[in-house]
Amino acid sequence: MRSDPQSPRAGFAAEWHEVTVQYPFAKRQAVGPVSLGIRQGERVLLLGPSGSGKSTLLLTLTGLVPHSIPATVNGDVRLFGANVGTRQPWAWAAQVAQYFQDADQTLCGMRVEDEIAFALENRALPPARIAERVKEAMERVGVPESWCSRPTSTLSGGERQLVALAATLVQDAFLFIADEPTAHLAPQAADRLHALLTEHDPSRGVLIVDHRLDGLIQQIDRMVVLGENGTIIAEGPPRTIFRAKRDLLASEGIWHPVASDLDARLVAAGLAPRVAPLSVEEALAHLDPRTAPRGHVEKALPAVEAFVAEYAMQGVQTAPDAPVLARLVNADCAPFLGPTILRSIDLAVHEGEILGVLGANGAGKSTLGLCLAGLLPLKAGKRIGAPGGYAFQRPENQFTAGTVRDEILDALPKSMAAKAKAERVAAALLAWGLSGLESRHPFELSQGQKRRLALASLTVSDHWPLLVLDEPTAGLDMHGVSMLISEILALQERGQTVAVITHDMDFALRLCTRSIIVGEGGILADGPTQDLMRDTALLRRAGLAEPSCAKALQWLQRAVSC
Amino acid sequence: MAATGRVMLKALNPLSKLLVCVVGLAASVLVFDARFQIALIVLTGFSLVILNRTSPLLLLALMVPFCLFGFGFLTTSLLFRQDSDFAMRMAGEALLTSPAFSAGLTLFLRAVVCGMISVFFALTTDPGALVRALMVHARLPPRIGYSLFAAMLLVPDLASEAQQMRIARAMKSGRRIRRVPGPGEIMSLVIPLLAFAIRRAGRTAIALEARGLSPDSPRTVLNAPGFRRSDVVFMIAAILAITLCGAVTFTDINAFLSLPQVGYEEPT
Repeated sequence: MRSDPQSPRAGFAAEWHEVTVQYPFAKRQAVGPVSLGIRQGERVLLLGPSGSGKSTLLLTLTGLVPHSIPATVNGDVRLFGANVGTRQPWAWAAQVAQYFQDADQTLCGMRVEDEIAFALENRALPPARIAERVKEAMERVGVPESWCSRPTSTLSGGERQLVALAATLVQDAFLFIADEPTAHLAPQAADRLHALLTEHDPSRGVLIVDHRLDGLIQQIDRMVVLGENGTIIAEGPPRTIFRAKRDLLASEGIWHPVASDLDARLVAAGLAPRVAPLSVEEALAHLDPRTAPRGHVEKALPAVEAFVAEYAMQGVQTAPDAPVLARLVNADCAPFLGPTILRSIDLAVHEGEILGVLGANGAGKSTLGLCLAGLLPLKAGKRIGAPGGYAFQRPENQFTAGTVRDEILDALPKSMAAKAKAERVAAALLAWGLSGLESRHPFELSQGQKRRLALASLTVSDHWPLLVLDEPTAGLDMHGVSMLISEILALQERGQTVAVITHDMDFALRLCTRSIIVGEGGILADGPTQDLMRDTALLRRAGLAEPSCAKALQWLQRAVSC
Repeated sequence: MAATGRVMLKALNPLSKLLVCVVGLAASVLVFDARFQIALIVLTGFSLVILNRTSPLLLLALMVPFCLFGFGFLTTSLLFRQDSDFAMRMAGEALLTSPAFSAGLTLFLRAVVCGMISVFFALTTDPGALVRALMVHARLPPRIGYSLFAAMLLVPDLASEAQQMRIARAMKSGRRIRRVPGPGEIMSLVIPLLAFAIRRAGRTAIALEARGLSPDSPRTVLNAPGFRRSDVVFMIAAILAITLCGAVTFTDINAFLSLPQVGYEEPT
């Protein structure tokens, strides 16, 4: 399937004609053949499973692949009708703004203000005009003025992502390319950025790769889906694709909006809305308990209940008298070489519990996680309890071995028999979808694969009774997250305690029996996740948002009370 | 006064300070006299303490490596000079008046002067402003300038990266993280940190290119410090002060100083 601009045509911002990309020493093509076109003013979403070549495809657009990143590129890539190879990659910057998957790939290592101004300085704009546009971009993205003089290296992962977005948006280019722009952002910030990225502007084309679809997909004109082999497997308007190709997307492990699941259940119940929905509100709009025929509402009840159950708690509630595994007492927490950011923390985690750690970007969740695991010394107070393992936000930091197999092998006890080790490694590779990659160097893997390897090496042994997972879903496709959920549940069954730092409210709601909300220099709330998710004022205060199924839950309450 | 001085020192064009520092360093190399070196140390140290509000303790701490370095010169000069007489050195008064001691002392003080001037420049200069000033006033190519920016910020990132790696390794080995890494641990971090630095350099190069940094096109440089009247005043005052120190050195004031023979004498 193709969107196939057969020849350079007016009105197309970007075109790929039968493009294939193969990296040196790779056995198979990273992408392609792909034929695709983005019209001016069009907002296109590119989806695909982890490792399907989405990022590579974006990098070919301005010639960074193969000019700066060696690879063999066949086919024709065109920007605004001109062959990309006719200019150096830097010469396209005025027309194309690129936001890369990792904020560090977008940022150049300066102060926040300089970072945002950089692209405009390169265009030799007058200083007053640059200052004005920098201020405007900071306001649009929500970068506080107090950050202006801070080096970007002092910001948290999510904060860097905000600055990188401001630095890209300030370019005001005709084509905006964004590779997972919201991967590390808290829900409110992600919603704001989705709105900014997809503001309708007939002169600006947008091509986004993002797994967080809720809040974004409604603004998308067309979506293109890459399969595992790097070719296009579906293309068209989101409403059509998510209803017509639902099974195909699911089999490829590609994300879809939660409304798509509800739609499937309503279709099965014979109550599907005429137009495929992209949000839960849309899916239930024709079934409003106050106005819809009572028979329809009653018929829809089981479907909606089943949908809510699917997104509701799957973790097992721990007994109230379960022993405390680790505890922070009146603790002051600070990042390495940084100032104290959390004060007087009292937090206990119980054996067999899955604890959610939620909060806005820069609230101190990672610092708290490291302190809870006993891996970061406290500034004040004390930590009591068992040692903890930690899955870092940047999985590369964990890797010490030369191959995927050795990485997992190293985590097993030295005293274990070789045969048992080999069996455990094989089981872990299979469970985390890493079979076939045993001999690869960990740094050669895609971001999603790296994350799965980091988690596999942490969970393969029973070294750590407490595991802290820092944004474990970032960069994972739907299959990856499903694997993660089942692995965490299996760990809980084995009596292990898990603390999950996440921005994904649906993920937290599914897994975490209890959650804490971090913010304003301390813990804002601590309680059952379901209760916290209902407190909209608290969620707003903490920069969070309701989980996607909240609207369905509200519909159920209304339907029952009517 | 101190606050004004602090602001003034920081607000000066880094290139003015660089010029003065280079003159100071050159003078300390050319004038081989302990009194001159002491005068420069006092002048620079007082400027930092009074005008920049630098803590004297911090200054002393920062001078420790330079003192150790200079102490090496002193001991080398004392122990390995051909004309040295070990027995004489063991007699205190003879040692202090020996040419070897004078030369060693001057070398020691020179190392401290170099340290003091470097610290003066480092404590009063924003590295970003220096790079921008070099790009605007000294025609430093932007590609090199922005590579310097990236390199400057790589240092804290490397420290933070190293810390995360240490945490991960401590966690894997099941031991507590040490406050100070041992030599073995440092060696084991070298390769991964090098890999991180190379990856980061590659990413930064791509980021610079993707955002339009070209090798030769004209570009605006924001927040580049310009030259002002205060820079001229600073340069004149500083160079005058250095000259004055030199002039005092060559005046015969040995009688007023408790120092012994301090001039350098070629060994016979």
